[in-house]
Amino acid sequence: MNPKGRPLGRTLLFGFIIFPLLVTQLYPLIWLLLYSLKSNEEIFSGKILALPKEFRFENYVLAVSSGHYIQYLINSIIVTGITLLLLIFLSTSAAYVISRFRFKYSKILLLIFLMGMMLPMQSALLPLMILLKNLGLLNTYLALILPYTAFSMPISIFILSNFMRSIPRELEESAIIDGAGPIRIFWSLILPISRPAITTISILAFISAWNEYIVAATFISSEKLKTLPFGAYSFVSQYAVNYGAIGAYLILAALPMVIIYSILSERITKGMVEGAVKG
Amino acid sequence: MKLTPTVLLFFLLPPLLFYLTFVFIPILLSFSTALLDWNGIAQPKWNGLKNYSDLLFHDPLFWITVKRNVVFALFSMSEIPIAFLLAAVLSRYFKNGQRIVAALFFPVILSVVVVGQLWKTIYNPLSRGGLLNHILSLLHLEHLTRAWLADPKVAMYALYLVALWQYLGYHVLIQFTGIQNIPREFQEAATIDGANGYQVIRNIIFPLTMPFFKISFVLAFIGSLQAFDLIMVMTGGGPAHATEVMSTYMYNMSFDSQRYGYGSAIASLLVLFSLLATLILNAFFGRIERRYDLH
Amino acid sequence: MKRARPFRLLLSLFLVGLLLSVSACGSSSGVTADQNKGDKDNGTKVTLVFQNIYPDASATNHKVMKKIVSDYMDAHPNVKIELDSLNIDQQKTKLKTQAASNQLPDIFVVNPSAQMKPYVDAGLLAPLNDMLEQNNLKQTFQPGILDYYTFGGNVYALPDGNNIGVMYYNKKIFDEVGVKPPKDFNELLDVVKKVKNAGYIPVVIAEKETWTGSFLFMNIVLRTNGGPGFLQDVLDGKKTFEDPAFIEAVDKFEQLVETGAFQDGATSYEYVEAESLFHSGQAAMYYMGTWATGGMETATIKDQVGVFPFPLVDGKGSLNHFMLAPGSAFAISANSKHLAEAKDFLNYFMLQWPKINFDMKAAVGLAQNVDGDFQKAGYSQISIDVLDLFKTVQGGDLAFDNTMEPDTAQVHLKAIQKLFIQKEPPEVIAKEHQDAFNRNYRK
Repeated sequence: MNPKGRPLGRTLLFGFIIFPLLVTQLYPLIWLLLYSLKSNEEIFSGKILALPKEFRFENYVLAVSSGHYIQYLINSIIVTGITLLLLIFLSTSAAYVISRFRFKYSKILLLIFLMGMMLPMQSALLPLMILLKNLGLLNTYLALILPYTAFSMPISIFILSNFMRSIPRELEESAIIDGAGPIRIFWSLILPISRPAITTISILAFISAWNEYIVAATFISSEKLKTLPFGAYSFVSQYAVNYGAIGAYLILAALPMVIIYSILSERITKGMVEGAVKG
Repeated sequence: MKLTPTVLLFFLLPPLLFYLTFVFIPILLSFSTALLDWNGIAQPKWNGLKNYSDLLFHDPLFWITVKRNVVFALFSMSEIPIAFLLAAVLSRYFKNGQRIVAALFFPVILSVVVVGQLWKTIYNPLSRGGLLNHILSLLHLEHLTRAWLADPKVAMYALYLVALWQYLGYHVLIQFTGIQNIPREFQEAATIDGANGYQVIRNIIFPLTMPFFKISFVLAFIGSLQAFDLIMVMTGGGPAHATEVMSTYMYNMSFDSQRYGYGSAIASLLVLFSLLATLILNAFFGRIERRYDLH
Repeated sequence: MKRARPFRLLLSLFLVGLLLSVSACGSSSGVTADQNKGDKDNGTKVTLVFQNIYPDASATNHKVMKKIVSDYMDAHPNVKIELDSLNIDQQKTKLKTQAASNQLPDIFVVNPSAQMKPYVDAGLLAPLNDMLEQNNLKQTFQPGILDYYTFGGNVYALPDGNNIGVMYYNKKIFDEVGVKPPKDFNELLDVVKKVKNAGYIPVVIAEKETWTGSFLFMNIVLRTNGGPGFLQDVLDGKKTFEDPAFIEAVDKFEQLVETGAFQDGATSYEYVEAESLFHSGQAAMYYMGTWATGGMETATIKDQVGVFPFPLVDGKGSLNHFMLAPGSAFAISANSKHLAEAKDFLNYFMLQWPKINFDMKAAVGLAQNVDGDFQKAGYSQISIDVLDLFKTVQGGDLAFDNTMEPDTAQVHLKAIQKLFIQKEPPEVIAKEHQDAFNRNYRK
């Protein structure tokens, strides 16, 4: 049906439900912008809507210079990028087996994967440290990439396998009749259809890897390998915290995330239209 | 399809081995410290099951934290139907629904430091100009104003609310993904048959997105069992344990009280409870799916 | 069961993998670290990892550290010092994980007394006695300060600071209300009432971080006990927490809370958040360690800050006794592969520490003697006042969590936090303490 069919209802919906929600969910962005230009005393004045007395752009200068922004940004991009590639490769194939093949242990297998979802990776710091030490990987990019990928797998496999299970069997059967094997079915049928779910798991994994700090702080010691959260937390000293600079840093750190997200969401919308045309 | 050795080798073995090495085994190993009396530094002493018996039978605080986690989970799950309706409306009536979903998702990507500070400002006592108290006093409800995070009777609920706000967009995103998965023709066919918006949602979208309800419910449950950062930033589990949940209790025991073994015992029970909850949710949704005759 | 076969294969692979990794983990504890692979590429080049808690590159402590480190590297081209600067929570987590997996960095930070004892007991720290003799480093430290880092006759760590607990106050508010710095607890209660009536916060406290309330509370104990040593007496079995001095302290503390001394919702305030209330002139008093002096210099009220020692309690105690806060301290890993180089560097570092700090106007509250005229060097009035107060110190007590083991300390910290939200009979609080103490010390 044509979505423009009922303009009045749509306007009411937007005006009374969606718009107020957007305000409450997006207000923090404005708040954070103001925050990043304030001093500690202004931030804690308790006034939620107040403008800064003077715009302290030096917070941004501090964020870039003292917080090693450029270097940490590059490291974050490397770590998060490889994590995502590895994650998509590993979790789509695992989800494919779990959801599209009938075998006795598929439930148990899923459960084993799910167990990893129950605990944050921070609680496995010590065994991970020993493992990485024995592999000689401490203080390398891989010391972050491997745990980030592995600990994002459970939730990704969970979402993907549920998604893939809902793909109609007829599609697969007609492909088999055409002579396609499991690898080709995976590559040219399951993967393209699963694009929305892959996007979703990428977003979730991206956020957790981009913001992760405790594991990074424990496994990385060299300045040249540190990631963005080190920069934000560098303004937290024992008895002094520069909240304005943290705000500025968080904005700078979120910027690439927002850009990537808007590109990605563009692509999903496109993917949906394509799917509709093909279908 | 039938499972063949090729499929096993190409598709299952790499992720499984990777996962077992970096997640499964480390977690199991970290549980083994639950059997120790260990401060994390000195030579550990064997403690048998004493940590578990203390935890289960002699530590009333532990059960309070469990109860809070369950309530937390119920709160978190209560917003999923709302998220579903929003997602359905956005996908059906709005051409740029994707963008609105992205905007609603925004609080999820915010660092917990910022979220915590924002809400602390909102919850501030009246004397410090807190927004919530200010609104209450404008509505002549002065008797309701209080220091929301320092009052043990309400502090926990104040935290639940922040989590609800922050994760609404998360569930909208998941539900939206599910709805996108429904072939357009289904909706169109229904509309030609004369079904209205409500009927389309009720009879087509709802049953077909059941797997995504399951995802949302499981994630909400596990997410609230793991709730940690936000509580640490906003109250640190205080005042006097009033907002302590299992994960903060585990952390405080392991790192502040330096009772590693005890902390690990809490962690292993946390996993056990999560697993149980997931199984229950799975069974529950399995029954619904069968009722709607899916698969 | 044809289908099951691949799975049996998988299961056995899994079991083999499990065994392998478990045995790998098991053997690891015996093997010493073979990190620092970078060392080899430059012949004799030595890399020292220096883990520290000065993460903010724009803060003075970081600048001082950076200056000394780069000076040292200029003079010793064969040594590379890698700074691993972390904020304190992460550093604690990291250090514990490293200690448990035998991966300690060459130089790192520990806390005095009870908090560093487990590391000493586990043999993880290198004794520094020989190194203290070189270049007369030992003589730069204030008398007695190294005792808090000494176990069995060996010094294991060198402190970056030494502070005392004081009451900062806002002179303008005191003048406006017409009160003077109180000498006795009853006067303090009186000041609290008057300040509160005038619409200011009497005392700010950051009770989300439970140690702040404990720090103030233990100062009351230091008075009601008539002098230092209460916790030590408990440890030695000479007293219990049900001693009248402790009961009275709880009672006095509850009076403070009841009079409305602290800001609303104090238990959700973080350190900087609370401090900013004092900095912006909304609060009359602020009880804190003297490390807070530096922050006053950039505050709105910088010219109105005064300082006084915590008052006597019903005439008990002495104004020359303070809560003592010997600072976090630098230690060297006993397993460091470059022990000699690490000691040489730390020796240089500590010798330079007071000088460079003085130059950068950050020499208030150091653990070492400082040569130089603070007045002439342009230190602010509040810094001079604090330094004068230092000269009156004749002993005192360490914070609770520096004296007792962690589990007892946590029970104490939470019990004091509870006093902010509800009144409890002092006897109940005392018993709670004693039970925790018995549980942990009389096993």
